[in-house]
Amino acid sequence: MTRATTIWKKELRRELCTWKSSLWLVIASLLLSFTSYLLLTNKELSLLDQTELMWLLSKVIIGIALLVVTIEASGMIAGEFESGTAESVLLTPISLWGFVKGKFLSVLTLWAMLFVVSLPYIIVAAAGSGETLAFLAYAALLGTLVVIGFTAFVFALALFFRSSKNTLTTSLVVLLALAAPALFSGTLKSGPVLQTMSTINPIENVFAALDYILVDAKFSLLSNIQYLVPLLIFCVVTLLFLGYAVRTVSRQGVVQHE
Amino acid sequence: MHDIIVTTGLSKAYDQKQVIHSLNLRVEEGEFFGFLGPNGAGKTTTIRMLTGILAPTGGTVTIDGHRLPDEREEAVRSLGAVPESRGFYEWMTAEEYLAFFAELYGAERMRIDELLAATGLADRKHALISTFSFGMRQRLGIARALLNRPRILFLDEPTIGLDPQGQEDIQRLLRKLNRDGVTIFLSSHLLNEVSSLCTRIGIIDKGRLIAEGTLAELQTKSKMKGGSLTDIFLRLTGGTKS
Amino acid sequence: MSRWSSLLVLVGVLLNAVVAGADTAPPLSLRILSSHTLNGTAGDYVTVHGTITDTGDAALSDITTYLSLVDTEAKLPVDLEDWSAEKGQYIGSMGVNQTLPLDWKIHFVKAGNYSLTIVAQSGAHDLPCVSPVTRFVVLPKVNLNPANVLPVAFLTPLVLLLLLFLATRIRKVEE
Repeated sequence: MTRATTIWKKELRRELCTWKSSLWLVIASLLLSFTSYLLLTNKELSLLDQTELMWLLSKVIIGIALLVVTIEASGMIAGEFESGTAESVLLTPISLWGFVKGKFLSVLTLWAMLFVVSLPYIIVAAAGSGETLAFLAYAALLGTLVVIGFTAFVFALALFFRSSKNTLTTSLVVLLALAAPALFSGTLKSGPVLQTMSTINPIENVFAALDYILVDAKFSLLSNIQYLVPLLIFCVVTLLFLGYAVRTVSRQGVVQHE
Repeated sequence: MHDIIVTTGLSKAYDQKQVIHSLNLRVEEGEFFGFLGPNGAGKTTTIRMLTGILAPTGGTVTIDGHRLPDEREEAVRSLGAVPESRGFYEWMTAEEYLAFFAELYGAERMRIDELLAATGLADRKHALISTFSFGMRQRLGIARALLNRPRILFLDEPTIGLDPQGQEDIQRLLRKLNRDGVTIFLSSHLLNEVSSLCTRIGIIDKGRLIAEGTLAELQTKSKMKGGSLTDIFLRLTGGTKS
Repeated sequence: MSRWSSLLVLVGVLLNAVVAGADTAPPLSLRILSSHTLNGTAGDYVTVHGTITDTGDAALSDITTYLSLVDTEAKLPVDLEDWSAEKGQYIGSMGVNQTLPLDWKIHFVKAGNYSLTIVAQSGAHDLPCVSPVTRFVVLPKVNLNPANVLPVAFLTPLVLLLLLFLATRIRKVEE
């Protein structure tokens, strides 16, 4: 774990030292500023219930986080292979799994930082609703689960592609494909195929769970089990995919033939 | 002296195409081994297999008594490598870069200043790598490879692209390291460099080790008594001089 | 005036009475009972309780009731699309002196001053019957405090920029 921690610390330093990554936090906060200000002051939007505004805000937070995490994770591993730095790192006693673990920790830290940035907005939006704690706890839990799943998926792609551009393009297409149905209303999802896809879609599960928690005030974990189980399965499946990618690449060698 | 690098029937194939053919290589501890070959002969592939970052499709590699890939972690503790792909974290300073690798190796921090001094980078330790010249990057790469006090140092074309002064600096450093007991495995296509530095030479062509020995042994094998390494190399690899 | 002309006047009066009967409203009494509970805040859901009574001496059929809402500031009728899921209620027939309850669940969509009436129509009458007007006020939503969001929306990105700037400054880098 110590070598993975070294990679993690290096990534954190990179995020702070190079404005490239830190800028995401600023962009996220600007987007949240704009959204929350619009939600809380616009006359037409303020016709909605407070809980519905909170739900909208929670969707924006998770949406931004997923976008930032996908973009950052796409370049985190593939970028090291492209620039040739991965070879130097993997010539040290660290294993490929340790290298990936360190990167994984840094993506989770980025998500944690994004969540911290969104805290003031959550507190302001939920003030007086009596749902602030539930909002915080569930946004953290559901966000963490979906970030874990997506990061594992993106990292596995990066290990196979070794190209930031290909990884980013594929990841964004998948993210868009999963996010698009989540924006449609339930009435459009008729038929067993669409309903099954809706049940396994992690983004739809997160949004539906947040609706159930914030709008319908169903706070217990048990009452949200219908959403949490598919999310946990998504995480397990993507982590297994990542494990398979690490094993395959370790077996073939961490560098590719030129 | 024991054999510190041993390969037996080492082979590599990519999509049915054999790029390394059953390579049997032995390098003794303390040797300065030169690994020569034309472009595309398989030098880099061999070094990558020897350093454990590329899996062979056949044969075995033993580094300092540790067999790859099963004992990779123990093997890489004994080796340092300056690979062909020279990627650096441009946003780091030289000191930060070495500190990062020192932590990965579990090396002591004081080693960083020692190596920055040895490679002539002490006065640039707080400078960003993005401001470094090619030669400075080469020296930094060597400093990184020496962090764990390796018993074997693999270098893949370490002086390529350097001016004569830069080449001389690095060659002097490598000589000193070898005198201090570090076994050096140097891949190069600069024949003068290899003949002036190496105690033993292996020549690879089209993935096969076609000759191995001291310069005198190679002269005998190639029937070119008193011939230069360039003449021997060209004859053995089917170059123009015969 | 001759006997014939007197007869013509009588027939004319009778015919006039028949035509006038077609232009009358049905004998119904409409009331809004919950006028005092209607005031609220935008976003609230309230129920409008009312009654309808057949005050005539005959049963009535084909009765439909609906709400009519007027924005008294804008002096415009309000489209009830967003306010109520059930815009009209079909009553059907009513017996003499029969009273039926009328309930509408409405959503206060926008703050303002409004006047509300219940309107009823019968298939046999050409004029509608209207309840007395109930006036109410919908207050603006106050549970979201826009004053709090302004400092958060402005300060968070600024504080973040400052922290990131400081983080890069503490690093020892030679130019």
